[in-house]
Amino acid sequence: MRKTLIAAALLLAALSGCGEKAEPTGGSPARQEPFTVMLDYFPNADHAGIFAAKAAGLYEKAGLDVKIQTPPDPSAPLKLLRAGKADVAISYEPELLLARDAGADTLVAVGALVQVPLTSVMALPAARVKSARDLAGKRVGTSGIPYQSAYLKTILEQAGVDAGSVKETNVGFNLVPAMLGKKVDATLGAFWNYEGVDLARRGRKPVILRMENLGVPAYNELILAARRESLDEAGASRLRRFLTATAAGHRLVRDDPAVGVDALLKADPGLDRGLQEAAVKATLPVFFPQRADQPWGWMEPVDWANYERWMRANDLLKRPPSEAPPLTNEFLPGEGLGASARG
Amino acid sequence: MSAPRLSRLVAPAVVLLVLFGLWELVVRAGWVDELLLPAPTQVAQALWEDRSLLAPDLWTTTTEVVLGLAASLVLGVGLAVAMHLVPAVDRALRPLAIGSQAVPIPVVAPLFVLVLGFGLAPKILIIALICFFPIVVNLSDGLRKSDPDARKLLRSLDASPWQRLRFLDGPSALPAGFSGLKIAAAVAVIGAVLAEWAGSESGLGHILVTANGQLETARAFAATALLIAEAIALYAFFAWLERRVVTWEPKA
Repeated sequence: MRKTLIAAALLLAALSGCGEKAEPTGGSPARQEPFTVMLDYFPNADHAGIFAAKAAGLYEKAGLDVKIQTPPDPSAPLKLLRAGKADVAISYEPELLLARDAGADTLVAVGALVQVPLTSVMALPAARVKSARDLAGKRVGTSGIPYQSAYLKTILEQAGVDAGSVKETNVGFNLVPAMLGKKVDATLGAFWNYEGVDLARRGRKPVILRMENLGVPAYNELILAARRESLDEAGASRLRRFLTATAAGHRLVRDDPAVGVDALLKADPGLDRGLQEAAVKATLPVFFPQRADQPWGWMEPVDWANYERWMRANDLLKRPPSEAPPLTNEFLPGEGLGASARG
Repeated sequence: MSAPRLSRLVAPAVVLLVLFGLWELVVRAGWVDELLLPAPTQVAQALWEDRSLLAPDLWTTTTEVVLGLAASLVLGVGLAVAMHLVPAVDRALRPLAIGSQAVPIPVVAPLFVLVLGFGLAPKILIIALICFFPIVVNLSDGLRKSDPDARKLLRSLDASPWQRLRFLDGPSALPAGFSGLKIAAAVAVIGAVLAEWAGSESGLGHILVTANGQLETARAFAATALLIAEAIALYAFFAWLERRVVTWEPKA
């Protein structure tokens, strides 16, 4: 009798629950809102925190059914974001500024995935490049990306090297093969936390010079971007929950990098465990802001302004600055309407 | 297999063995960095050791290639016949068909994704886009080259355009059509790789990207070996089918 009563009560509760709010998702216990994340590239160590958050069910707990999508090419995420095909896209600070300059000024950075530049100058020992000064008279391979060529110009200027003596060659995406094949002496564009770690693990002893030590203004290599028009009350709530869960995912990886590596390998079994683990460990310090009182994902408005000024000085941006700022920290965990005043 | 056919395999086998031997020598002697060019034995080793990784990717790519080829066959044959029957269609669509071959995949891939999403559909479309062209060109040229005397005869018998297609132009265009199909089969595999480079979760093209990104050159070459094998197998299949269907042509 008691059992039937309980069962009846449960049934009633379930029925009334159904009547109260008719959810499109139907019988599932918690409402799961679809949320698409567009990666910048194929899954790799840079995405460890996101895959860890997904594998640990953090997004599910936040009421988000997160779909992680690989883009057609690294320039596509912002286009697809603008077309409404994603809620959040991973891109690069310079790419976002360029997209906004091209008219997509409703796109806004809502968090930094990697705090500092990963792009670096790299050379193999045989090329005898130990500092920016050694680039004089050398052949430098780049991917032909205009702002990266501008990095090279700035680096040579800072080191007092005559730019005319350096031969820049566009090697496309074959930065490392071009070095291995001795077609160039150094490259600018390979990531220190990936190609650099890979070469070091293979005993090739790469010399790595990082952008922030060469006079290139500080920038966030990887950012999470969103569309302002999709950030109405419901959209902002989804984004906040996504960023909070992603921050928690990064803390999981910090506590145990293997969590992130396992999640990555589950997403793409073609990845090399040893390399991914080494790359995740190398990237860990720059997944988080330098100051402990800043939340995960924090972007420094002053740094952004400096970087944008540098882009203008190098004729990379054409239009006058947009009214709407290119970044906002207000959706980060612990930030909000009141707290955003400090940003 | 008869003795003469077996002996025909000796020459290509010897050439291959000599090539592989030289290749192995070049790498083992350290003339080329093994991260750039792995030795054939290293590729064979990768094929064996990564078999559990490569097999599902081979399956994905094969599915895409077969569906893409089927789509291009339907599209190609339909277009060639329409162009043959209605000259206005030929004039209107031929420049477009040629132009379609000049479109770089990276330009259209984001658009395909926008319209079709990320699944199988954009891959099939990219393969079909690349493969329908040799089918259309070969088949429509073949349709035009039927025997003029036979054409006169059919006209004197008051045959309809459909009857002419069914009894004369169609059969006489089959060898050319099969040539187009064999070319399409060989390039379909490249189409699948291009399609997978434009965003994918699996497939041999996908493994090429991740292997290249991790300097796992032997694995990239192993995937390439599978792509080559697949192209040869598809070509051989259509050559066999041609021999079964076109029985009236003198054997080369």
